[in-house]
Amino acid sequence: MTITKEQNGSSLTVNLQGRLDTTTAPDLDAELKEDLAGIQALTLDLKELEYISSAGLRVLLSAQKVMNKQGSMVVRNVNQTVMEVFEITGFSDILTIA
Amino acid sequence: MNGIMVDNQLKIDLSGHIDSSNAPATETELMAVRESQPHEGLILDLKDLAYISSAGLRIVLRLRKLEPALKLINVSAEVYEILDMTGFTEMIPVEKAYRTLSVEGCEIIGRGANGAVYRIDQDTVVKVYHSADCLPDVQRERELARKAFVLGIPTAIPYDVVRVGESYGSVFELLNSKSFSKLIAAQPEQIDYYVGLYVDLMQKMHTTHVKPGDMPEMKAVALDWAEFLRDYLPAHQAEKLVALVKAVPDRDTMLHGDYHTNNIVMQNDEVLIIDMDTLCVGHPIFELASMYLGFVAFGELDPDVTQSFLKLPYETACLFWRKALARYLGTTDEARVREVEEKAMVIGYARLMRRTIRRNGKNTEEGRACIALCEQRLSQLLVRVDDLSF
Repeated sequence: MTITKEQNGSSLTVNLQGRLDTTTAPDLDAELKEDLAGIQALTLDLKELEYISSAGLRVLLSAQKVMNKQGSMVVRNVNQTVMEVFEITGFSDILTIA
Repeated sequence: MNGIMVDNQLKIDLSGHIDSSNAPATETELMAVRESQPHEGLILDLKDLAYISSAGLRIVLRLRKLEPALKLINVSAEVYEILDMTGFTEMIPVEKAYRTLSVEGCEIIGRGANGAVYRIDQDTVVKVYHSADCLPDVQRERELARKAFVLGIPTAIPYDVVRVGESYGSVFELLNSKSFSKLIAAQPEQIDYYVGLYVDLMQKMHTTHVKPGDMPEMKAVALDWAEFLRDYLPAHQAEKLVALVKAVPDRDTMLHGDYHTNNIVMQNDEVLIIDMDTLCVGHPIFELASMYLGFVAFGELDPDVTQSFLKLPYETACLFWRKALARYLGTTDEARVREVEEKAMVIGYARLMRRTIRRNGKNTEEGRACIALCEQRLSQLLVRVDDLSF
């Protein structure tokens, strides 16, 4: 998986490309833990995300919990495959999907 | 066209195409079946219905005036789209048919008492049940797993329920994992490491709050066990047992209900829980009671039971239990650990005794030995233990 980031003051956009699964989720988790300090607006761009596993969803969930305290989080460009997973798991009710 | 009665509901199957050419005949037939049997509600099963035109939809509308509780079930994706576009899905309860899946040629990766697990692709498996009667249980487990997952409990993603041949299956994320039982059996010297991970996850569950009504309350279940034993225990013991369970403080935090080392698995460095059908809420003493059964009491009369159930030597299982309990309580004080263990034993033996009686234990030698053990333990414990909370 490739993670690219663009930061603009207290706004951070993270682009995810490839598979967010049990082997790659810890990388994203570690990166977010490092970067979220001081961030008030987090955007996750999932345009090129091919697959998300439970481990990946848990990283999104913990990022959402952090952002609930310090600002807001938006998930955008969700493709059909990933959207189906969000809907089936009930994540579509938790995440702000733009 | 035939109608069959299911719990006072009349169920009628509609099939094929319903359009202006056969709508009048269909309606006449439908009304005749409807009048032939007294019923409280009407269900149209559309499993074999491929198409319905506006003439057919008007029959449904007229029927609904006569049958306010009308419901449509097993609706195919095509027919659902028609019902959705015309606004019927907002007026009448409509249940979609399950997606049909074939497991022909799929690799079998596990077999259990209730069914078999097939790998359908790189990331997903389907657990196919032997009997179609299991559907309510399949849906229940899936719903519980979904609620826990959204609350952040690490488990495999429960996808959808599907139709497989004559039965049903539940689609899950494929985990590439090993159970804690297997890991400990392979590296007994690492037991403290696994105890730590096991207890961390347990504490995470036990501090996760659940919305009222989302999961069953364990205390009500335990109270049933205690009440059941009124017919089998001396009156003063049964009375005290019921009173002890009643006095356990209510909690809105999650319990797994079957938290033993077969159900905790590791995938890479991730610790996950499986088998979510026993999820409930309640005081942690109920969790400890079921753990005591799994690790200690089941193998007390015959250690081979533990060996075949957990694939661990009985001594290792008992050691794991004591270490996990001490760690969970955050103490090295033996007396404190023993005190809480005895509280867990009260509920544990009550459950084991009821279960053994209900499984015809009075009529087998093993069963009688187990019941006698439970009676003996309970008679001693019920004198000493005055409070089950800790």
